[in-house]
Amino acid sequence: MFATDDAIVAIATPQGRGGIGVVRVSGASALSIAASILESDGPLQPRHATFTRLRAGTRTVLDEVVATFFQAPHSYTGQDVVEISAHGSPVVLNDLVHRALDAGARLAEPGEFTFRAYLNGKRDLVQAEAVADLIDAATPLQARVAFDQLEGTLTRRIGEIDADLFDLTARLEASLDFPDEGYHFIDPEETANRISAVIKAFDRLLVDASRGRMIREGATVVISGRTNVGKSSIFNALSGTCRAIVTDIHGTTRDLVTETIDIGGLAVTLVDTAGSRETADIVEREGVVRAARARQVAALVLIVLDGSDPFVYDDDRTLLAETAGQLRLVVFNKCDLECPQSGTFVDVPSGHRVDSDELVRVSAKTLDGIDRLRHSVVQALSGGELLRDTASMSNTRHIRLVEFARGHLVAAHAAVASGAAPEEFVLTDLQSARSRLDEIVGVRTTEDVLRHIFERFCIGK
Amino acid sequence: MNFDVIVVGAGHAGVEAAYAAARLGCSVGLCTLSRGTVAHMPCNPAVGGTAKGHLVREIDALGGLMGRAIDATGLQFKLLNRSRGPAVWSPRAQADKQRYATWVTNALEREPNITWIFGRAGRVLASHGRVEGLAMEDGDSHACSALIVTTGTFLNGLIHVGLEQRPAGRHGEPPSRDLAESIRAFGFQGGRLKTGTPPRLDRRSIDFDARVGDESWTVEPGDPVPVPFSFATTVPLRNRMHCWLLYTNERVRDLVRSNIDRSPLYNGQIRGIGPRYCPSLEDKIMRFPERERHQVYLEPEGLDVNEIYVNGLSMSLPRDIQETLVRALPGLEDAHMLRPGYAVEYDFVQPTELRSSLETHRVEGLFFAGQINGTSGYEEAAAQGIVAGLNGAKRARRELPIIFRRDEAYIGVLVDDLVTRGCLEPYRMFTSRAEHRLLLRIDNADLRLTPLGRQAGLVDDEQWTRFEARRDRYDRNLAMLSKALIRSASGARIPAAQLLRQPGVRLDALAEDHRVDLAFDLCSRELDLSSVETVVKYEGYLKREVALVERTRKEGGRRIPHDFQYFGVPGLSHEVVDRLSHVRPETLGQAARIPGMTPAALAVLGAHVGRTPPAAMLP
Ligand SMILES: Cc1cc2nc3c(=O)[nH]c(=O)nc-3n(C[C@H](O)[C@H](O)[C@H](O)COP(=O)(O)OP(=O)(O)OC[C@H]3O[C@@H](n4cnc5c(N)ncnc54)[C@H](O)[C@@H]3O)c2cc1C
Ligand SMILES: Nc1nc2c(ncn2[C@@H]2O[C@H](COP(=O)(O)OP(=O)(O)OP(=O)(O)O)[C@@H](O)[C@H]2O)c(=O)[nH]1
Ligand SMILES: [Mg+2]
Repeated sequence: MFATDDAIVAIATPQGRGGIGVVRVSGASALSIAASILESDGPLQPRHATFTRLRAGTRTVLDEVVATFFQAPHSYTGQDVVEISAHGSPVVLNDLVHRALDAGARLAEPGEFTFRAYLNGKRDLVQAEAVADLIDAATPLQARVAFDQLEGTLTRRIGEIDADLFDLTARLEASLDFPDEGYHFIDPEETANRISAVIKAFDRLLVDASRGRMIREGATVVISGRTNVGKSSIFNALSGTCRAIVTDIHGTTRDLVTETIDIGGLAVTLVDTAGSRETADIVEREGVVRAARARQVAALVLIVLDGSDPFVYDDDRTLLAETAGQLRLVVFNKCDLECPQSGTFVDVPSGHRVDSDELVRVSAKTLDGIDRLRHSVVQALSGGELLRDTASMSNTRHIRLVEFARGHLVAAHAAVASGAAPEEFVLTDLQSARSRLDEIVGVRTTEDVLRHIFERFCIGK
Repeated sequence: MNFDVIVVGAGHAGVEAAYAAARLGCSVGLCTLSRGTVAHMPCNPAVGGTAKGHLVREIDALGGLMGRAIDATGLQFKLLNRSRGPAVWSPRAQADKQRYATWVTNALEREPNITWIFGRAGRVLASHGRVEGLAMEDGDSHACSALIVTTGTFLNGLIHVGLEQRPAGRHGEPPSRDLAESIRAFGFQGGRLKTGTPPRLDRRSIDFDARVGDESWTVEPGDPVPVPFSFATTVPLRNRMHCWLLYTNERVRDLVRSNIDRSPLYNGQIRGIGPRYCPSLEDKIMRFPERERHQVYLEPEGLDVNEIYVNGLSMSLPRDIQETLVRALPGLEDAHMLRPGYAVEYDFVQPTELRSSLETHRVEGLFFAGQINGTSGYEEAAAQGIVAGLNGAKRARRELPIIFRRDEAYIGVLVDDLVTRGCLEPYRMFTSRAEHRLLLRIDNADLRLTPLGRQAGLVDDEQWTRFEARRDRYDRNLAMLSKALIRSASGARIPAAQLLRQPGVRLDALAEDHRVDLAFDLCSRELDLSSVETVVKYEGYLKREVALVERTRKEGGRRIPHDFQYFGVPGLSHEVVDRLSHVRPETLGQAARIPGMTPAALAVLGAHVGRTPPAAMLP
């Protein structure tokens, strides 16, 4: 269940190469967690910035930091909050987060600070609903995987390993609940082998992760919009490349195109996508699906509209409605041409009004307004809490869960291999392992186990 | 007449409900169609099986009928999963259907608080959202404070054999239409389910002796030393008959395939949803074409009846095809079919309409139990019967309901699954449904539940005295194991418990080899010993499980008021509000188990229902 008063920690600012980053801890034990991380004389004083250093410890990176204590209820979340500002390199900030985790904090879910703020009466309803929706929609695996496929990575590999583990637990369950169906579901030797295969797979994954092979950095910014509005042109303008193909044919871009760039000192993974439209073309349709998934993992979405076109189309409305709860900017492109959409008001159905500070006018052709767009991106990403994990945050989260899961599997393997415990006992360890992975791949219930069994085996008389 | 509690239906749910309410001292009217079908088994002549056997042990620990009835009348006993761990051992027995029914009828006859009402119930009488009584189809009516409806497959029942359809509750019995209409009128959500049964053969037309030594037939004997279901059984049980195992062949497969368009399951005639775990022969052959053969068990239905139940051949093909098909099996070439298999469709009430006491949200004093709630199986029905009977009596006496938690009984898991998740298909119990399965074993069903049953008024003095003796034995044996020093292989003197924790060491061998003086009851020796062995041997696992239970209880035990208004709670989506308002969970834990609930919605809910301390009695 979702606890609301334990201590949570996260990097509160997007990760950039230079500048300052902030790590935020919220919860009743925030102060004591800070105390165990920081070298300091006496407790932090409310609303005072204290200049101090990190305690020497098992973690290697040492740095000078500024810590500020906000006492409940006078804080962002309404709980005790400690914010630690440090040099903004990802290595330093991740190290800080890990120290907080070691001291007993839990990694915050995306949007969880804002969610607590709402529960404590610090945020109004509209914001809160948006955040609750967001947490409810916790990034589905397919969206993550589809996106990660590009760079070939962690989530996908975890998903594959989990599928094996799930099948193993389902077979073991079947062997207990359906003993005389004439099936031989699995035996202890095979169980031991399969558990150790999963452990090995996790080990490889953890090694790769620790070598940084699967770490992408920075916040994901996804460019979306109808076909031919100039998304790829904007992608090229922002990245200073010509990686994305630009033509005047509708439906030019099909696959996701990514580029990691520096915007105003922030690391950003920029993603160009296929234009949204109904289409009979199978390849293009797959592109549209991928675009939707990319939006689901995006920290920020740029919705591009054609400023030279007097109409607002259904596809525009759908996109605006779909991203209403998300951090986004609405970009009017082609402003070098005559712009009938000169006002700041966009005609969208009520409830999905676009605030004027979400609007930016540019020309990808003349590069007019591109600097302003860069500025707006930095503003949007730094403005508050990021409502989506950045890539390195989800890596941190996932690796930790995998480590826990691995621990349970080692116990399970030992029990099977030594014959110390029968199947139903071993299953408790396997289930503990799986429940850690649930957070990544989504919860699977007894019903899912039963479905898995009944689909594969003819059971019952 | 005027009763505290009226029970409609004397199937497995109804008889336990009536018996439980009577035990609590209530005057009970037991209304059913005829004396001849009390505790009738319309399908397989067996009680127990994985997880179902657990339910029977729990019913017995709570003073119910089923365990004693099957021990007294069973034909063959087996402990399933004996090669696995103690948490999944499960007893199963072949039943003598007629004797079983007679045994139960006699037990009910002996209860002075139970009055029979023979006839067809027609209407639930209620006013101002409260039950007042029951009207019979013949015009009589009876008043009561609690009404428990357990009418099984009878509500708008429709039987299919091939293309023939006939309204019926089950074979040879007309359906209940007025009652169905009366229940529907209250606005309960519900749906249509389906179940089926195989043909019955005439024992006299099968030459069993000729099959001895036949490779295609295997004799299925019972356990050499049967383990009883009931804690009250003190005389050793005997196996009186065995079963036979054979397999379907290509001819059977071809017959099903070539006649599939005459199966109401495949020609669109049947709409109700059947259980995935009891597939019809049609389903088995059509859905798993790669499986060469399917098991068929021949099971006698009783000592002095001629019916042989053909387990595995549940189907609804036309009668003539069923006959041909049966005769296609090896050794059954001359078999005579007494009755064809059939499928039955029936109305059920969505159990999300119920509270954990099995009382409906809509009408105070109205309870549903058994197959009417979407479950299938005698044991599932009986388990609900005891819950409804107990709480019907509580309602009549204006006392608080008694609810079994998920971590304390399979009965708790069953009820909680039903009322929080509802049914999309007939519900059967599995051990995998019980997340705290390690704690819910058949060996400790009495330790878990008999004290609760005693407190509730379900357990009589005789059962209680026996239980106290058994608990003393248990405590003594545990103490003995940690006290007794024995010489280990290395020569050191160690407590017996320490040796027992080693893989492969079993308690009975240890006790014998080292002359550890253990107390046990002769008839229940195996489970007596196992209850001690398990807590010692797997202490680490069990401790972790208990810690987990405590944590879950702390988080999930917070109560939600029954009249809580979900509408207008900010941060809850419309779907979540709809779902919660319908299910009306009693605790945050129940809310968490409702499909579609999200962590965020739970956190919002938690913040709104306030910090009421965990209720000791709620799951
Ligand atoms: C054809 C068939 C096949 C089945 N197959 C399986 C199977 O394969 N596996 C499995 O687990 N379970 C199976 N079952 C289910 C199992 O038999 C039931 O789940 C169990 O018996 C239900 O018990 P119950 O007490 O709820 O209802 P029942 O045992 O059906 O009892 C209902 C009682 O209500 C009485 N009654 C009905 N209407 C009225 C009325 N208007 N007035 C008064 N009395 C009334 C009847 O006389 C009867 O006594 C099958 C059932 C049937 C009928
Ligand atoms: N005048 C003008 N033309 C532009 C501008 N930006 C893009 N275009 C033109 O618009 C057409 C489409 O540009 P793309 O960048 O390929 O558009 P897209 O949104 O990526 O299109 P799809 O990939 O098909 O969805 C090209 O002919 C561009 O040259 C702009 O700012 N001004
Ligand atoms: Mg493009």
